[in-house]
Amino acid sequence: MKRLEVVKGEYYDSVTLMLVAKELKKIEGVAEATLNMATEANLHIMKTAGFEVDGVNASPDDLIIGIDCPGELFDGLMETARSYLSSPPWKGGEEPSEYTPRTLEGALSVLPEADIALISLPGRYAAAEAMKALERGLNVMLYSDNVSLEEEIELKRYASRNGLIVMGPDCGTVVINGEGLGFSNACPVGPVGIVSASGTGLQEVMVQLARRGAGVKHGLGTGGRDVKSAVGGISSLIAIEALANDPEISVVVVIGKPPSTEVREKLVQTLRSCGKQSVTCFMGESPRKDEPQLKYTTGLEECATVVVALLDGKDAGKAREDLMNEYLKIEALGRKSETSGRFLRGLFTGGTLCYEAESIARRYLESIYGNNPLKIGMKLPDSLKPIQNSFIDYGEDEFTQGKLHPMIDPSFRTGQLKMQSEDPSVAVVLFDVVLGYGSAPDPSSEVVGAIKGLERKRGPLYVAYVCGTSGDPQCLERQIAILKEAGVRVFESNARASIFAAAATVGRERR
Amino acid sequence: MSMKKLLKDGPKVINMGMEQFYIDLKAREVPAVRVDWKPPLADRELLGKLKKLRGGNFV
Repeated sequence: MKRLEVVKGEYYDSVTLMLVAKELKKIEGVAEATLNMATEANLHIMKTAGFEVDGVNASPDDLIIGIDCPGELFDGLMETARSYLSSPPWKGGEEPSEYTPRTLEGALSVLPEADIALISLPGRYAAAEAMKALERGLNVMLYSDNVSLEEEIELKRYASRNGLIVMGPDCGTVVINGEGLGFSNACPVGPVGIVSASGTGLQEVMVQLARRGAGVKHGLGTGGRDVKSAVGGISSLIAIEALANDPEISVVVVIGKPPSTEVREKLVQTLRSCGKQSVTCFMGESPRKDEPQLKYTTGLEECATVVVALLDGKDAGKAREDLMNEYLKIEALGRKSETSGRFLRGLFTGGTLCYEAESIARRYLESIYGNNPLKIGMKLPDSLKPIQNSFIDYGEDEFTQGKLHPMIDPSFRTGQLKMQSEDPSVAVVLFDVVLGYGSAPDPSSEVVGAIKGLERKRGPLYVAYVCGTSGDPQCLERQIAILKEAGVRVFESNARASIFAAAATVGRERR
Repeated sequence: MSMKKLLKDGPKVINMGMEQFYIDLKAREVPAVRVDWKPPLADRELLGKLKKLRGGNFV
């Protein structure tokens, strides 16, 4: 029996609500438990799941709890839910919590030397809190999405006038003096400075650098819109200048999807005159001729490879050529691999990893659909129903409004992965697993749980990339072992996994 | 605190929103304080009025 209850005026963050739901699901008799702030999107999701939300008196500031259980258990379970919210069981045994201020002013009285506000509030409140932080002299990392373009421009202009920076909105990763904020990996500190308009792009380059023994001092996110005409690269330009002025940084890197033409020109001019070796990685761009002080790359692993060559005083062109030769071997392996079905499905939690994978797959496959496709006219009518070759980014706004990002809670992507695997037309399922601080505690086990025991007799071929390091809380080696044991082909970079997956699909589409 | 100061001595973080980000910072001994943020009361009052205007059916 599915019942729900509204708790008026109670706000909890999405992680707390997910964890309470998980605890409730462990109780015998509970078939389903879901706790959400009562946003329109969440009410729609609950309705789709069979909860009777029509006529419910609830606003986005109210908590709504839905439980599927025998009727006689409901009241007791509601009591349990409330007690979990006030005293979370996963915090059992901890010493009494320290003083937690309710406001920014209160926080500044506890930590007066604070220099940055990390804001991950619902989008409709985030810009106002970000402005308050700027007015009090704090830099801002704005993880929140659903912040308007006008608000973004206002915040960034204010910061620029006052010697501050706004990193975001929709900025998942920032690294300051080697310490990650938001989603970040355990990487060494070193002489590289990165400006990134893409979160998982920054993570992937840092991870690939770490695997080659190189480290990053600062990784400054900007949010994807920063490099579009309307914002004009305000934060990117501030960040490049700051990195150029840091004597401990010897290579400056700029990462992102291709910027608008005029912003690209500004970024390139600033890099040319910054007095340091620099590397751009604008994914999917046509290759350009390197300049003495500026190297152009179009892939995340390629970017890391070129940076390491520069740090080591080696020929960047030769390093790139060696990498491309390795890619050719992986392509040949992919072409030889066996599977059944015809199409490739890319199911991603990392937006930039999805973008890079699709840009690679386009070199092999004629038509690729997606929820955020690279090619105009290839948008899926329904993101929940991929067709033919499709790439889905489950971190897009349509999946995250009022819900956790799939890197924190991969359960929705896991369900989709299972559905795609059962489709006999699917030859290859390509997916990412992103480790690090902020990410789910055991993402590979989630995936393996979904692909075990499928009814399909043969195929599909599972291809994965695990973005992470040995020092990450989830441990890279353990996560890879879990996938390999389940028969997943795991590759050393997002690019390699994408090349293999696309090559394994080539020629199958017309069968 | 200017951006220069952040890059020289930071990060010293005020976390507003997801508690996990704060927990991860504290685990690495990064100076951090968490704000137990709630939506502003004024906004809730406004939503209450909107609800009345819509005849109580806000969904």
